Amino acid sequence: MHGLLAEFGDKFHYYAYFAIMMIGLYAMIAKTNLLKKCIGLGIFQTAIMLFYVSIGAKQGATIPIVDPALGTADPALYANPLPQVLMLTAIVVSVATLGVALALVQNLHRDHGSIEEDEILQRLRGQ
Amino acid sequence: MTSQLPILAVAPLLFGAFAVTAGRFFYRRANYAVAALALAASFSASVLLAVSVLTQGAQVYFVGGWPPPIGISYVADPLSALMLAFVSGAALTTFLASKTEIETSYPLKNSAFYALFLLAVAGHMGIVITGDAFNLYVLVEVAALSGYAILAQGKDRAMLSSLNYLFVGSLGASLYLLGMGYLYIMTGSLNMADLSAIIAAQAPGGLVGVTALGAAFAVILAGLFIKMGLFPFHSWLPAAYSFCAAPAAALVAPLTTKVMAYVLVRMCLSVFTLKAAWSVPAINSLVVFLATAAILYGSFCALAQKSLRRMLCFILLAEVGYMAGGVFLGNRAGLTGTIYHIFADLLMTLCLFLAASNVERATGGRFADLGGLFRRMPVTAAALVMGGLSMIGVPPFCGFFSKWYLLSGAMAAGSYGFAGALVISSLVNAVLFFRLFEIGFFGRPGAACGPDEAAGQARPGAVPLFCDEMPAARLAPLCVAAASLVAMGLLTGDFVRLVADAVLPPGLG
Repeated sequence: MHGLLAEFGDKFHYYAYFAIMMIGLYAMIAKTNLLKKCIGLGIFQTAIMLFYVSIGAKQGATIPIVDPALGTADPALYANPLPQVLMLTAIVVSVATLGVALALVQNLHRDHGSIEEDEILQRLRGQ
Repeated sequence: MTSQLPILAVAPLLFGAFAVTAGRFFYRRANYAVAALALAASFSASVLLAVSVLTQGAQVYFVGGWPPPIGISYVADPLSALMLAFVSGAALTTFLASKTEIETSYPLKNSAFYALFLLAVAGHMGIVITGDAFNLYVLVEVAALSGYAILAQGKDRAMLSSLNYLFVGSLGASLYLLGMGYLYIMTGSLNMADLSAIIAAQAPGGLVGVTALGAAFAVILAGLFIKMGLFPFHSWLPAAYSFCAAPAAALVAPLTTKVMAYVLVRMCLSVFTLKAAWSVPAINSLVVFLATAAILYGSFCALAQKSLRRMLCFILLAEVGYMAGGVFLGNRAGLTGTIYHIFADLLMTLCLFLAASNVERATGGRFADLGGLFRRMPVTAAALVMGGLSMIGVPPFCGFFSKWYLLSGAMAAGSYGFAGALVISSLVNAVLFFRLFEIGFFGRPGAACGPDEAAGQARPGAVPLFCDEMPAARLAPLCVAAASLVAMGLLTGDFVRLVADAVLPPGLG
């Protein structure tokens, strides 16, 4: 039991990001509301961003901006900036994805008067 | 000048996209010419690059002058340089062939379509040439996002299909990103050459000993299979490609699945190294099994379709199975077959989708309306026959040679199920295309041919020759695409020697 707790405590961020990711995946698969699917996609992508940022974190380290008081001699004093930079790019990508998705949902709503996938499919079959 | 060619292959497309977007506010009529010029510039730079790489060896270009592992590098080896030339050539051919089609399919939105078209091509070119694993993710999304936008414009279900494609595609790209995260934890690097050196040092016995690398490989594979549309993850592909406007399908269908197959080869070959990639027998047999299922599923679903483009979409699913399976047969012939098939299938899909676009314009594309096609549109029908024969695998065409390599790879690996699926798929393709030819030669033209034809005259003999044929501007690119199928087939030996043998490790059996 103790070993299990220690294992969980050491790696809790992995479990956390995995749980969040599965919540997002569930929303994308199980929901018929297109906006909820968009939200699910957002949750899924955010979980991966959390994962990246968490692997760059260090115990007792500060933000990755050079502090004159600390100097640059010891990199262990700063969090790893690279995952954060990568995730800035990934955030931009996910914003663009969400933008395209919302534009499509808006157009679907304009054409079919609904954002429920099954209702739209029903109307399309009726045509 | 030649040292700048890798960036010159991609940059004109990006600048062209901006120029076209800005141009719609100034002088809209020049936009088609500007976009065509950008594609032509990119194509010529790619061809020059391919020639210089094939004669003088691989080139590495540092974007912005920053050397890796800090900066992003562009790597032009024989495989990526030739792929660049094929991708930009296919895009240019589609663009030239679809001028009238674009103007009628996207009224008032021409400029937006040109910009998205250029961005999609730029994304695919970037994926092919980049030597940085994270940059690859960003470019996958650039290519995909422009793809979603152009696929969404079309008949009834296009928008919903495109939205579903967006959800599934983003999921696939996110999984790739996640796998890359594991790799980064294990290696601390994102540069592909750097990664493969570190992985080779860390996992001398393959991935079995290092669980995190195995997990990274599995997650990346899952992401790539979703983006490729391999069998259990395929549902977005036929829907997204069959409802959109014809030029969008003719652009995206030859590019996306093939470029993703290229990424799969690249990952196995230059990131994980073949020794590590093939070290887990369970993954190998699972992928070959999925590929077999994809081939059978795609072929038999294609039999059930009633329109030309939908049939082609399901054939495409089977072709994805060819490419995924060949990588994991675990021998040289299988991998050679996959590399060759990426190029061959790009040309075949290009030829068939361009022909289908002409047929749809004239007849609507449903099988019932294709009667008398060979009299009404002889040139388009001839191209359709060439594409069809290549898909079936008739010798002078390139489709035969990829099947030959894949079959001999499957036999050598003992994957008789995969070999059987390849043969069955050929037979099913023969049924599919000969049914089409039968309708085209012997079927009665149902709808009147031209507005002034009376219904009483609708006998095959009464239909004037060429009465529905497209203008020469649409036929010339199609003929080039069809001729390239024979050329590729005849140059198979040189291709395998210059490209496949150059990138495969020498000792591979």
